[in-house]
Amino acid sequence: MASIILRAVSKSYGDNKPTLRDVDLHIGDNEFCVFLGPSGCGKSTLLRIIAGLDDPTTGDILIDGARVNELPPAQRSVAMVFQSYALFPHMTVAQNIGFGLKLAKTPPAEVERKVQEAAAALQLEHLLARKPRELSGGQRQRVAIGRAIVRRPGVFLFDEPLSNLDATLRGKTRLEIARLHASFDKSSTVYVTHDQIEAMTLADKIVLLHAGKAVDEHGSIAQVGSPLDLYHRPKNRFVAGFIGTPQMNFIEGTVSDIAFDGVTVKLNSSNDFIKSSTGGSSLAVGQPVTLGIRPEHLVVREAGSTLAAGESAMSRTVQMVEHLGEQTYLHLQDPAGGALMAKVHGDSTSRPNDIIQVVAPATCCHLFTADGLAVPFL
Amino acid sequence: MSRNKVHAPLAQRRKRTALLFLLPAMVIFAVYVIYPILSSFCLSFYNWDGVTDKSWVGFANYNELFHNPVFFTALKNNVLWLVLLMLAPPIGLAFALYLNQSVWGMRLVKSLFFSPFVLSGVVIGLIFSWFYDPAFGLLKLIVGHGIPVLGDEHYATFGIIFAALWPQVPFCMILYLTGLTGMNPEIIEAGRMEGAKGWTLLWHVVLPQLKSATFMSITLTVIGALRSFDLIAVMSGGGPYDSSTVLAYFMYDQSIKYFRFGYSAAIAVVLFLIMSVFITYQLRRLLRSES
Repeated sequence: MASIILRAVSKSYGDNKPTLRDVDLHIGDNEFCVFLGPSGCGKSTLLRIIAGLDDPTTGDILIDGARVNELPPAQRSVAMVFQSYALFPHMTVAQNIGFGLKLAKTPPAEVERKVQEAAAALQLEHLLARKPRELSGGQRQRVAIGRAIVRRPGVFLFDEPLSNLDATLRGKTRLEIARLHASFDKSSTVYVTHDQIEAMTLADKIVLLHAGKAVDEHGSIAQVGSPLDLYHRPKNRFVAGFIGTPQMNFIEGTVSDIAFDGVTVKLNSSNDFIKSSTGGSSLAVGQPVTLGIRPEHLVVREAGSTLAAGESAMSRTVQMVEHLGEQTYLHLQDPAGGALMAKVHGDSTSRPNDIIQVVAPATCCHLFTADGLAVPFL
Repeated sequence: MSRNKVHAPLAQRRKRTALLFLLPAMVIFAVYVIYPILSSFCLSFYNWDGVTDKSWVGFANYNELFHNPVFFTALKNNVLWLVLLMLAPPIGLAFALYLNQSVWGMRLVKSLFFSPFVLSGVVIGLIFSWFYDPAFGLLKLIVGHGIPVLGDEHYATFGIIFAALWPQVPFCMILYLTGLTGMNPEIIEAGRMEGAKGWTLLWHVVLPQLKSATFMSITLTVIGALRSFDLIAVMSGGGPYDSSTVLAYFMYDQSIKYFRFGYSAAIAVVLFLIMSVFITYQLRRLLRSES
């Protein structure tokens, strides 16, 4: 009922380089799509283009199969929750929620009924007579959501809705938004955030956007896919580095052997040989590559223990230990000074200056060519 | 009694400091505002030429005032000023909305619009006197023949009010522009998302947020209308035949030209009572919004 299609959408301001370039995207019915990216990547601009608050420089926007480029926001069947909530300060909660209905000439009794319904869904009934300034941040947020759902739009747009809430409330509201989306029959949701936890937990589909120079080279979209897709199979170095905390380790190396079950890479600074289960058909021995491995995929083993098939070991000196309770971050160093980070269980006994053996499973070793593209896994 | 002096708590000391800071302003206000008001009240019951002794006449000054046709002309003109000067806030709002865009060169345009407000009333009066001059004025060039605006008892007041609007409009415009700049643009966008546009957007979303600017520009325009004096003095001197006089100018005429200080004090009292209606209204609003 309310799918969104973006076709070759670009946006540039004045004579500057485009902030958004070549965005082709399909957001299906009842899909929860999250725009994720570093600041300045144009994710909010893309949302505003869908809303009709900004015009694209080029390209088409289709909602429900119909081109809406020329339609004003109110006629696109979209509703938006703003980062600042943007409640009308002079109206009560009930008037805020019912404003759009009133402008659409809905009979007062009907407005009243729908406002009550929305308020009940968001536990706002006891606040209906209050003005926004008498509400807490979380309550204002719920009023903003109420104003969005009351008109039963086809598309919900959220612009960083949780960034003004404290951590506890953020988690709670995140769940509420997920529940709300699940209660829609067909409406799709587009949600902008820079917080990858919000993106990973909420999204059916994440659209990760480039910023800066990469936009000119590869277009705005870095990768589109399910959260775990982006986590396990990043298409390029930018995606691999952006998704996941702490960041993936990137180590420079050269291809030393290409076999049917994967590629072996010799690391430049430590001369370790690391196996990766990636397809080597496009690589050549001696080609420079970047090995990528997530801190949580590194395993600490006792020195000298035997390795299983598809495992590679590296010997490293512990530099610093950060205990976070449920896990421990180990900052490691090779003799030549190359840094490596491992995320291990919470009660790790490693201490600075210990020499430990870390093991990297080949299935978790990503390879990136010099132009930043990922070598596909087997 | 304990001999150890107990120090006043911090709050009390702060209150004392606050009073100390308020004192100079309060003294000056009392001497230069409150006292003259009270003494004008007293003076209005006397007959006094400024030189000889005052003589008590009771309500005679008021009695004469309410039987003087010039007083009613002045009162009627004051009402005219009040009504017509009220065009300034809406026109100012229109200009502010127009100027509140980020277009190249808008700063220059803004300062051009604002420039009349910088000029003194006397300069504006002189410029408009020349503008209206039936022999060589710009108005004559525009319409093709001279119209003695300031020389005609039916037009004089309107001519002066028009001149008064010239600086009053940019003044209101600045108040609105400040309000517009301070507005959260997301609220306007939220209004557009909800389907408001054009007049509905202005009426339901923008104007309610400019409430304080509207209140300020209306209040200051009312005060400007009631204390209008400089333009009249420069442009028409209240004439022809006292047709363009207002209470403030009438008062000045009676005291400075005819040395009737008691009589003009009575005019001042009437003007003060009219003004106090607005002042009370404004004070009540102010106090209510603070509480």
